[in-house]
Amino acid sequence: MNTPRTLVLEPGPHLHAATTTASIMWWVNASLAPAAAWGVFVFGPAALAVIAAAVAGAVASEWLACRALHRRPTIRDGSALCTGLLLALTLPPLTPWWMAALGAAFGVLVAKMLFGGLGMNLFNPALAGRAFMMASFPLAMTSAWAAPRVGLTARLDAVTTATPLAVLKEQGLAAAMKVVAGDPWPRLALGFRPGSIGEVSVVLIALGAAVLLARRIIGLAIPLSVLAGTALATIGSGAPGLHLLGGGLWLGAFYMATDYVTSPSTRGGQIVFGLGIGLLTGLIRLFGGYPEGICYAILIGNAMVPALNLWFRPRRVAALAGSPS
Amino acid sequence: MRAPLLRRFGRGGVHPEPSKQATAWRPIERLPAPHEVRLPLLQHLGEPATPIVQKGDLVRRGQKIAEGGETGVPLHATISGKVKPIERVPHPVHVLAPAIVIVRHGEDAEELEFPEDPEWRSCARDEALARIREAGIVGLGGAAFPTWRKLQLPAGVSVDTLIVNGAECEPYLTADYRTMLSHPADVIEGALIVARIVGARRVLIGIEADKLAAKWWLDVAAHGGAQREMPVEVVPCEIHYPQGAERQLVTALTGRVVPARALPSAVGVLVQNVATAASVYEAVRWRRPLLDRVMTVSGPGIQVPRNLRVPIGTLLGEVVAFCGGMDPDTTRVVAGGPMMGRSLPRLDVPVIKGMNGLVLLKGRGPFEDGFGPCIQCGRCLEACPLGLEPDQVSVRVEAGRPLDTEPYGAIDCYECGSCSYACPSHRPLVQFMQVAKSALRRASELRVAP
Repeated sequence: MNTPRTLVLEPGPHLHAATTTASIMWWVNASLAPAAAWGVFVFGPAALAVIAAAVAGAVASEWLACRALHRRPTIRDGSALCTGLLLALTLPPLTPWWMAALGAAFGVLVAKMLFGGLGMNLFNPALAGRAFMMASFPLAMTSAWAAPRVGLTARLDAVTTATPLAVLKEQGLAAAMKVVAGDPWPRLALGFRPGSIGEVSVVLIALGAAVLLARRIIGLAIPLSVLAGTALATIGSGAPGLHLLGGGLWLGAFYMATDYVTSPSTRGGQIVFGLGIGLLTGLIRLFGGYPEGICYAILIGNAMVPALNLWFRPRRVAALAGSPS
Repeated sequence: MRAPLLRRFGRGGVHPEPSKQATAWRPIERLPAPHEVRLPLLQHLGEPATPIVQKGDLVRRGQKIAEGGETGVPLHATISGKVKPIERVPHPVHVLAPAIVIVRHGEDAEELEFPEDPEWRSCARDEALARIREAGIVGLGGAAFPTWRKLQLPAGVSVDTLIVNGAECEPYLTADYRTMLSHPADVIEGALIVARIVGARRVLIGIEADKLAAKWWLDVAAHGGAQREMPVEVVPCEIHYPQGAERQLVTALTGRVVPARALPSAVGVLVQNVATAASVYEAVRWRRPLLDRVMTVSGPGIQVPRNLRVPIGTLLGEVVAFCGGMDPDTTRVVAGGPMMGRSLPRLDVPVIKGMNGLVLLKGRGPFEDGFGPCIQCGRCLEACPLGLEPDQVSVRVEAGRPLDTEPYGAIDCYECGSCSYACPSHRPLVQFMQVAKSALRRASELRVAP
């Protein structure tokens, strides 16, 4: 009999589900690839530079922060890359690359690592980075939009334009629909419109999200209630369709609001969280100063998560005998 | 006609790969009597047994060698041979514990004879209990609580349903399944004896859906011959861990919810494992003591996976050798199932009454390489069959505040391991629960003390 030299004494259970934190993060990153690739395809190489800069900024800052804090480097878990990628996908395609890198660094260093790293942050790091950029570079963040290059006979030099939601806010629905030339609804869904790099193709975002749903990495409670909340808030505005498809709502609902760390852990809390974000998004767009509202709505929602987790806890299966449950 | 829907418990649970193909088709084989057995005086919950034999005594298989005392059960020789000095030997649970060691001696003396009691069906309640106690029977599902104590319900408690637990939800294990296939009549008769003792009016046998062959045999044994005095029904449940946990099986089969920190008898149910029921039958009909343990030896590390009938006290090394030995790259040997079993550092420990399996695993354990921070994904909350909050408990224990975990239910955790299994950050949540639990218990003892 061949006896192994050592038998390991280890705590149970001795089996484990295949899903790990790193596998979750890498699935999220992979599922974003189609939407990101589409952004590069329709907006040109400038978009690729923004993505590369944001990812590099996020990963480099996490690595540096781990060094400075004498921690084991955590960049291989894919979460820093995820932050950089998500931030880039919310940025205008013509954002200068160094701004993107700076925004990503802010998100990782201030919103995540200063709070204690993965799992400890209160706010979504990518959106914190975006909010930082909105405050620091307001001009670039509201004007660096590019018109989509249509088809393969693409121009290399990008033409700046305004997003449908910005035009909707300034000039009304008819003008906004003109931004989306041609047959508007298929073009909105497929992503032939000006907008942030990764937000434009609702179809590809839905495809990526479907992968995450199938792998049970995300659930439907948060994204559906975000969409429902926005629909509810904008239904009387005359342009609910454009509000649902014309901005960053889908990217926010499926990829930002579903971030585990900054969203509630139980179904009830998730529905309230999602509805609140959706309603706030609509209110900001209709009555606030910005054409787009999902970023701030999610950040405000993030701040509510500790309270929601207190209010919505799992129901005990068995209460103590004789005690009211 | 009933709808053939599978039952399951209310919430939570996980789906580990069942991995039962290796042994599910194999009949129970008898391990040849070993040269030596080590019988620890403590193999059950309660006080250790007191030896009634001395060094040098010759004993026969089946002979009583230790008395059970007020709360324990007696112990019997499982091979015939000579008693060696009683000493502390490695124990699978208690590290080192006193045991009666018997070594085969000269010509094999035969097993004691256990003549049938022809009147066994009309055996009185107290007499049946005495035989069960004298046979040294404990819960064979793993907990090893003395069965005679479990069957004596406290005053004011009554039971209308006996549940026989054949769920065997632990991956790899098929010992109970093969017991139901090979000895269906023993299981049914034993269950009816237990039901009579506790005054139950029906018997439900819970199995997981991968054991439907056992349902067929149990149905035949229950209804093929004699008219039974009470309904006996085999109820298939979903394959869903921890379906075989007492609380979860009670809910799946009766819809009743056992209150926290209470026993199933609080809702009129008593649960017995199938192997226990079969032993009860032998004890009452023949006064035959519990001598062998049916166990599954499986996992990627064993050469020939098998279901075995092993004399209690046999060293695990012999059991492994009988199964062709272990692969050199085996890293972990788990006594019991891989979800709730414990890993053993050595093979010179004996098989004890509660050991229903031995699983040999390769590779690194899920909690050997450290763990990451809680990312609040909520998987443990979904996995917990009791609706407890392992995430909240774990971060508080990590922060050195185990006493703040009270609102999150640490005390009620029975350590099924579903939360740890599901945690993507490989956090040892069960162990965090254990730390919290013992801190809370200590604190409440201090409060109660004057």
